Amino acid sequence: MPPRPLTLPLRTLLCCALILMLFPIFWLFMTAVKPPTDWNASPAIWVPAEPTLINFKTLFDPDAIREYGVGGVSRSAGDAVFGSLLASTVSTLISVGAGVFSAIGLSRYGRGSRSAPLVILSGRMFPPAAIAVPFVIIFSLLGLIDTYAGLIAVYIAVTLPFSTWMLKSFVDDLPREIEEAAMLDGMSRLKAHLTVTIPLIRGGLFATTMLVFILNWSEFMFALVLSYSNINTIPVQLAKYVTATAGTLYGVQAALAVLAMLPLVLGGFFIQQHLARGMTFGAVKQ
Amino acid sequence: MVTEGTACAGNGRGVSSPAGKGAPAGKGLPVGRLFTVPGQVVSFLVLIIPLAVALYMSFTDWTPTRGGLGEAHFTGTENYSELLVWDTRFLEAVARTLIISAICLALEFAAGLGLAVLFMRRFRGKKILFSAFLSPMMVLPVVVGYTFWMLFQSNGPVNQILGFIGLSGVDWFKSSLPAVIAVILTEVWHWTPLFFLILLSGLNAVPENPLRAAIILGASPGQLFLHVVLPMLRPVIMVAFVVRTMEIVKLFDEVFMLTRGGPGSSTETVSLYIYKLAFNDFQLAYGAAAAFLVLVGSLFLVHLLLIPVKDHIMEEKR
Repeated sequence: MPPRPLTLPLRTLLCCALILMLFPIFWLFMTAVKPPTDWNASPAIWVPAEPTLINFKTLFDPDAIREYGVGGVSRSAGDAVFGSLLASTVSTLISVGAGVFSAIGLSRYGRGSRSAPLVILSGRMFPPAAIAVPFVIIFSLLGLIDTYAGLIAVYIAVTLPFSTWMLKSFVDDLPREIEEAAMLDGMSRLKAHLTVTIPLIRGGLFATTMLVFILNWSEFMFALVLSYSNINTIPVQLAKYVTATAGTLYGVQAALAVLAMLPLVLGGFFIQQHLARGMTFGAVKQ
Repeated sequence: MVTEGTACAGNGRGVSSPAGKGAPAGKGLPVGRLFTVPGQVVSFLVLIIPLAVALYMSFTDWTPTRGGLGEAHFTGTENYSELLVWDTRFLEAVARTLIISAICLALEFAAGLGLAVLFMRRFRGKKILFSAFLSPMMVLPVVVGYTFWMLFQSNGPVNQILGFIGLSGVDWFKSSLPAVIAVILTEVWHWTPLFFLILLSGLNAVPENPLRAAIILGASPGQLFLHVVLPMLRPVIMVAFVVRTMEIVKLFDEVFMLTRGGPGSSTETVSLYIYKLAFNDFQLAYGAAAAFLVLVGSLFLVHLLLIPVKDHIMEEKR
């Protein structure tokens, strides 16, 4: 059955939906290029008459905004960007690295425990607030609070079930005869998995890495409760952009928000065909 | 040699098979279990140990000012009975989280299904529109919260648009109901794309033959959708609800940026309340008890939800 064409009323409906979907993103981008006088003007200014990059500059040079008479930006966002990159990259690599072996183990040698998937799924449901309390307690005893090591450990722990489960669904898709052929040729199991299985799931490996990176990059609450002064991430910095003298720094905050979301929106574009699978633990494939 | 199908049955449907049988060559060390060792070590170190310590603490009156854990006094189940019987703020937060979740999921489902049905039609530029409709999902929750905080300012664009169509503006964050509505609209914007994505995948997978048969038998488009397409979508719909429920009961980031739970505690979710208990008031032991109650409740809820879709999620489909 060929699909029916979109009639005019439906086309209008679709356009309205599109506007609703894109308007908040449009507003964020516009705020990021507004000069301080336009930030919170009444009535609100939709498109600035004189777009500027001063907000982006202020992120890394806190004094730049002074030429507009706005003071009190005390901190460069450089350390937040550095912190986000460090914590997200390291934890993603370790999580996916450990996850790929767990996935092969579960898929190829799993003992068929019925509860294992449920345990993994339940792990995703624990509210971060509920896990954060124990983490803070034990980390304060171990001196890991306010260190990247501690934050990375948390990120690995909360994403490992996810990466394992998603990678398992890709290993499951791979006929095991391929590995068996390699093993019959005299390869050890480890070597067969390293040289046959892993290269063959590289597409899935890439998608999983991207999704885990997105989870870590977006994470807010753990970073908020585990950071004081030594460590910082972009989401935490975003929540902090309020000063005593200038109130909320709308434009600067929006500029950081734009920087934070750009890699994710672009990255998401590349893994679009794996998105449904990733978000549903392999239950739905596009 | 074990075929792929049997091995998967062993994994997915819970037919237990000895490790050796599933392995390609059934001798030597249990290599398979070695593969999962790194994962298990990490889980043990960074999940099990903190949880065990916190569980112990939730039965004490420890606060950080007391110093080491040895200074804690064992108080039995006092924290728990306090929470469940006397702490109305906690109970209200639980109820509020459930109500907000139910409303959001209903709206997201309706909007996502509508969009997915539109996308089954033929039109130009579908690929690019598909990406555009998915984009909200890729935005960081904190950024979503901040963006909607700007949109809902009393002199912000939302009130401006309300003004254009002749309605008076609302002080969104100054009274309870508008604040709750703002939170719900934010969530719905953020996560409708996920329903859209999942339901569209489901619609695309609906086989054609039953549809043809129904049309030949004279079904109207409405009947076709209600009685043929929707029943076939049921598993996918359930998966979407399970996945979203798991996420939305954790609701924190967006609310933190939008309202911090205010005004008063009218938008305070469970996560936000535990956060405030533990990290603003430093009642870590009490907070830990609340956290465990939420953990148990969440576990119960997710298992309840998983019953109808368990087989669908765990069955390997090919």
